[in-house]
Amino acid sequence: MELVQMQKSLQDYTKSLFLEGVLDSQFLQLQQLQDESNPDFVSQVVTLFFQDSDRILNDLSLSLDQQVVDFKKVDPHVHQLKGSSSSIGAQRVKNACVVFRTFCEQQNVEGCHRCLQQVKQEYYLVKNRLETLFKLEQQIVASGGVIPAMELGF
Amino acid sequence: MTVEQDCVALDQFPVGMRVLAVDDDQTCLRILESLLHRCQYHVTTTNQAQKALELLRENKNKFDLVISDVDMPDMDGFKLLELVGLEMDLPVIMLSAHSDPKYVMKGVTHGACDYLLKPVRIEELKNIWQHVVRSRFDKNRGSNNGDKKDGSGNEGVANSDQNNGRANRKRKDQYNEDEDEERDDNDDPSSQKKPRVVWTVELHKKFVAAVNQLGFEKAMPKKILDLMNVEKLTRENVASHLQKFRLYLKRISGNQQAIMANSDLHFLQMSNGLDGFHHRPIPAGSGQFHGGAAAAAGMRPFPPNGILGRLNTPSGIGGVRSLSSSPSSGMFLQNPTDLGKFHHVSSLPLNHIDGGNILQGLPMPLEFDQLQTNNNKSIIPGNSMAAFPSFPSTQQSSLPNNNSHLVLQGHPQASPSAFPGHQINKRLEHWSNAVSSSSSTLPPPPAQNSNSIMSHQFDDGSSSYSIPFCDSTIPLAPAMDTNPRAFYRTTDLDSNANVQPGGVYYDSLQMRQSGNYGPTTDALLSSNAKEGFIVGQQKLQSGFMGAEAGSLDDIVNSTMKQEQSQGDLSEGDLGYGGFSSLRTCL
Repeated sequence: MELVQMQKSLQDYTKSLFLEGVLDSQFLQLQQLQDESNPDFVSQVVTLFFQDSDRILNDLSLSLDQQVVDFKKVDPHVHQLKGSSSSIGAQRVKNACVVFRTFCEQQNVEGCHRCLQQVKQEYYLVKNRLETLFKLEQQIVASGGVIPAMELGF
Repeated sequence: MTVEQDCVALDQFPVGMRVLAVDDDQTCLRILESLLHRCQYHVTTTNQAQKALELLRENKNKFDLVISDVDMPDMDGFKLLELVGLEMDLPVIMLSAHSDPKYVMKGVTHGACDYLLKPVRIEELKNIWQHVVRSRFDKNRGSNNGDKKDGSGNEGVANSDQNNGRANRKRKDQYNEDEDEERDDNDDPSSQKKPRVVWTVELHKKFVAAVNQLGFEKAMPKKILDLMNVEKLTRENVASHLQKFRLYLKRISGNQQAIMANSDLHFLQMSNGLDGFHHRPIPAGSGQFHGGAAAAAGMRPFPPNGILGRLNTPSGIGGVRSLSSSPSSGMFLQNPTDLGKFHHVSSLPLNHIDGGNILQGLPMPLEFDQLQTNNNKSIIPGNSMAAFPSFPSTQQSSLPNNNSHLVLQGHPQASPSAFPGHQINKRLEHWSNAVSSSSSTLPPPPAQNSNSIMSHQFDDGSSSYSIPFCDSTIPLAPAMDTNPRAFYRTTDLDSNANVQPGGVYYDSLQMRQSGNYGPTTDALLSSNAKEGFIVGQQKLQSGFMGAEAGSLDDIVNSTMKQEQSQGDLSEGDLGYGGFSSLRTCL
């Protein structure tokens, strides 16, 4: 059945994200919070994350493009991004933020630029993957199916 | 059966516990909100600290607990923490993506009753209700000292309460009753709706004279009442007044002597405002204490307090209190220390109404000074205080015994609190301060009971329970490596041992430990030198770690194991590895 296949695809896809380290167990926790009383929780939160992150990345680009970089401004942004990415389970984004912060502390502009690129890359990656994930889920729901619960076994 | 469990059984709590969540990051806020809902708490969220303060100010009793992010654009989270603790006296939990121990320390010293790292896990949130329970419990316990539910209530007031299961039960009952009282906003725990007695200066003078005559430790409401010989004054009135007085003394003990001199007025202001107790602002003295101690040192009394507050509370107190056996000594120790220091400072958010809100006195130093000059004469300055110094002083001596004292810290591990591993690491940090500052005595590990509490409460998660902690401890570990020794547990070897509370603690600690850690402890205790001390500490710590295991065998084994691998243990390992491995022994 197509539905079953879709569900299988979804599971495999999700699994791959975990295996690649794009997502971590925190994302699982989010999924577990989703229930009948909170049916779109994950997508809502992730949407918020995207909004926040787009804004932060923007601010970061601007800050780093200044003649004189004000690290006191840069660091809080990165910190916030680190916090929110870790909260939704975007592991690679978070890790990139951690590295970013060390360069901030060192006030290394060049390093920060590189980190920003890295963060952006990871961010777009996870954004892309999650959007695909949600599409798969929507297809399943649209076909009358239920989104399978993620097994923790892997 | 723990107090907390009893209380949980008592009403619906923690279901429906009202939490105010503050975080400027909407993603995190949303997640937090959901997690809290999942824990069945009642959640209010705001992304602005200012708004949070407004909400809190608008109705004091609207919330049970506040969780706040540290980094917020409109107001520093620590500032919010302080304000909430001062004004509303609510437990506040800090939340941050900063795992840097400095921040954790800051949180603790500003009075946070817990510090959670992002990403927050639901397991941690499931525990936070204990902070509410604990804060009420502490407040009541202070008032317990003066309360005579039965005639035996007065024995060794400051000391006996914490000593044993009987005291536990009594306190439990007291707590239960007070819990209801508090919810009714009734400031007099021993009566329902009697006409309020106003304690005038004259009346208070008589009271104090009577107490002096009887001796502070022996003062019992009935006798005081008889001595005072005042019509229409009931034993209950005296009892509650005594309770407040004792609590008041505890709060100010270890503090400016100047206040002692004017303590009567100070106290009266507090108690008469009794609403003063409930509401606020009182004399500078206490405010000074808070301000001075906290601000100035955050330091001297603070870190240990902070530690106590942070560590003791979740683990030590919570865990220890629930015990009825040997750890009672820890509790015993805890109490005076806690009340002395903990209550004063670190329990900022935890100080409750019954005991009078010293903290709220912070804004009014000037006022107090004026009052002081005016009223000094009419007050019996030194006398009453003279009678009581025995109490507070014992506290003091058990308190920051100055830099030469290292304090034995119990093992909060076993606590049901969110973060045992985290705690350990934090504690370790704190110890570096504690070592350089004053003593903070902590209870010995509650071992079995608290563990069983934990497993009782969090059965499903018990094995995985440790895991999140482990995760959270990891970030802290590296920081520790730099100076492992300094972080190690400190043991109070000196005069403290002879001091009443400390002494008892010490003895029982020895006793308790002798079975388990005999050689280690003895070596520690006999050395009494810092070096030998520190080395021994590690062992002791290991020993304590062992205690958690819940069985003598485990303890001995782990002690031995850890002694062997002593050199290998880094803070992180000790806190984390040892901890988790012991845990799984359970």
